[in-house]
Amino acid sequence: MCAYCPVFFCLERMGCTVEDLVKNARLINQQLARYGVKFGIYKDGEFQERLFPFDAIPRVIQADEWEKLEKGLSQRVRALNLFLKDIYGPKRIIADGVVPEDFVYRSPGYIPQCEGITPAGGVYSHISGIDLVKGKDGVWYVLEDNLRIPSGASYPLIARTLCRRCSPETFRHNAVVDNRGYGALLRRTMDSVNTGGINVVFTPGRYNAAYFEHSYLAEKSGAALAESGDLYVRDSVLYYRSTKGDQRVGAIYRRVSDDYMDPLAFEPTSLIGIPNLMGVYRAGNVAVLNAFGNGVADDKGIYYFVPKMVRYYLDEEPILSNAPTYLPFYEEDMRYVMEHLDTLVVKDVAEAGGYGVVFGSKLDKEKLESLREAVRREPRRFIAQEVVDFQDLPIMDEGERVERKADLRAFVLSGKDETVVWPSGLTRFSRNPDSFIVNSSQGGGFKDTWILSR
Amino acid sequence: MSRRLDFFYDILLEFDQPVRGHDFVLRCLPPSFPGQDILDASLTLEPYAHFALQRDGFGNLLQLGRIEQPHDHFRYTVRGTARIELALRQPENALPIFRYASPFTGVSESMGDFLNGLALPDDPEDRAWALVNVVQEHMAYTPGVTGVDTTAAQAFDAGMGVCQDFAHVYLALARASGLTVRYVNGLTQGEGASHAWCEVWLDGLWTGIDPTRGRWTDDSYIRFGVGRDFGDCPIERGVFLGRIGQRQTVYMKVSQQ
Repeated sequence: MCAYCPVFFCLERMGCTVEDLVKNARLINQQLARYGVKFGIYKDGEFQERLFPFDAIPRVIQADEWEKLEKGLSQRVRALNLFLKDIYGPKRIIADGVVPEDFVYRSPGYIPQCEGITPAGGVYSHISGIDLVKGKDGVWYVLEDNLRIPSGASYPLIARTLCRRCSPETFRHNAVVDNRGYGALLRRTMDSVNTGGINVVFTPGRYNAAYFEHSYLAEKSGAALAESGDLYVRDSVLYYRSTKGDQRVGAIYRRVSDDYMDPLAFEPTSLIGIPNLMGVYRAGNVAVLNAFGNGVADDKGIYYFVPKMVRYYLDEEPILSNAPTYLPFYEEDMRYVMEHLDTLVVKDVAEAGGYGVVFGSKLDKEKLESLREAVRREPRRFIAQEVVDFQDLPIMDEGERVERKADLRAFVLSGKDETVVWPSGLTRFSRNPDSFIVNSSQGGGFKDTWILSR
Repeated sequence: MSRRLDFFYDILLEFDQPVRGHDFVLRCLPPSFPGQDILDASLTLEPYAHFALQRDGFGNLLQLGRIEQPHDHFRYTVRGTARIELALRQPENALPIFRYASPFTGVSESMGDFLNGLALPDDPEDRAWALVNVVQEHMAYTPGVTGVDTTAAQAFDAGMGVCQDFAHVYLALARASGLTVRYVNGLTQGEGASHAWCEVWLDGLWTGIDPTRGRWTDDSYIRFGVGRDFGDCPIERGVFLGRIGQRQTVYMKVSQQ
């Protein structure tokens, strides 16, 4: 233990100056609250907004470890993009028997209206959030791909900015890769697929829990921040009403889910959408980030097949591992799941955000039986996974250093010609010492993620 | 044998107060494909609006546009001539999605039980036909009890509905019993309102079947749009600013030349 610092087992290369950050954690959290860094959660059926608590001890990832992660993440996202292009096009992967069609057409994320549409630059998932955990065995496992509207990049981004302001020393003594280029990277990604016109970030509005993120990312990427009333469609072109007159939009980074984006193509009662945006998209007159229909590639059922996609489309061995997963859909897996249900974690493929996740070990006999019945009745609806025993990270809890479960959401940006992994990420931890679920919808906190440059 | 049909379709939407910023998407022009040749077709909009022509993921023709200025009614009128010749149909690939339940055609428990009690023939064509009779027996044609949002399950439980409901119930039962089927809307020879029916994919041919009238379709049917269910291919959809009441008047006429 370091002599100057009562709370840390300091890594020598980190120096002791992280202590500065911990001392100032309250100040940093106050600043974050002022900026409106919040998260919305559903508790007991009610929507509530919560501050997203920041823990000052960063997650540190060594340079060589990151290099491998980076390669693996880029590989995975490239394969996922090829999968989406295939599914809404020739569907070779189904014809070749690699992915059973059930997992495509029963997925609520599959949108038949997207059949035959190729988005600008051929990219579907421009901003991908890949959730990983590091096992006690030192191996990184991918838990989930988020290819629709993954949120969270703004949190480590602003936290880093505040930390640097708070303790420049810390960053002088540690070789931390600067993560503040995210805005420029986002801009480059939008520009690469832009069909002519300005970039906009489309938000449901200032009452949305993630409004801070929307406005921050718009500012950092130089895009206009737009709500539904600011945008309209004329002659299959999308326009933004600005103080300088109406401007054509070439790329829209939308933070609204597919269903609500266009009341004339999707959910007719949506008041926050842009009527006939789908027509603009179909005509190739705007890039939509991320594309419509991506949900077919990131549900919990299709997750099982991602390593197979890497082999199928790229002819490469997957660098990153999935958590060991069983599909009750397959007879052999069903047998295994039935025999080991009490040690597995079972996930409902239709749910997201940490909901619909059940640990067999936490169930009494009766509940275990009813879960068994449910899986048997609707095999397609569930996946089962081995519980990955993942590494704990230190957090400060009322002045004390304690260990908590944490995961990492890495952000991968895909433009027309390149797929780039942002050298940072959102590390989320659970407040509850017994919980494995670190999803921010479940009320956890976050940390900065340091990638070391050497 | 072919039949030439003149068609006329006129829809008037009247608003209680003028509306503006009115975006619309229409599927009111029938497409040409082997078996249905649209010899000519014209669409007029009132008030005048420029519209773009596109095709959606199901191959339907779309007319998309926006009327900026205030207007108290919206009228679209379609006229044209179609030549229908079923013998010219060509085998085609079906989107696999037509085998799966869709938003309007989920199978409820009561429908599932009902299906389990049926002895359906193995041959797909026979099964498709048997299900038409099943729907005819179960449903009574009754206007005014269902709406555009009524699902197959609701219509099934009510045992009543109009052509859209007959088609939805048919699709739900047919898909659950392994057939590849889709929803169709269009016009049929005669006078009155537009109609909805279904198509079954048999040996690669989309074959029309009409659960409301209890028959296979023939060359008196003009297909406008197809989809998994009504939600994929309504003839008209629009949004505008304001909570304003509206009335719709529909008139159509299809006559043989």
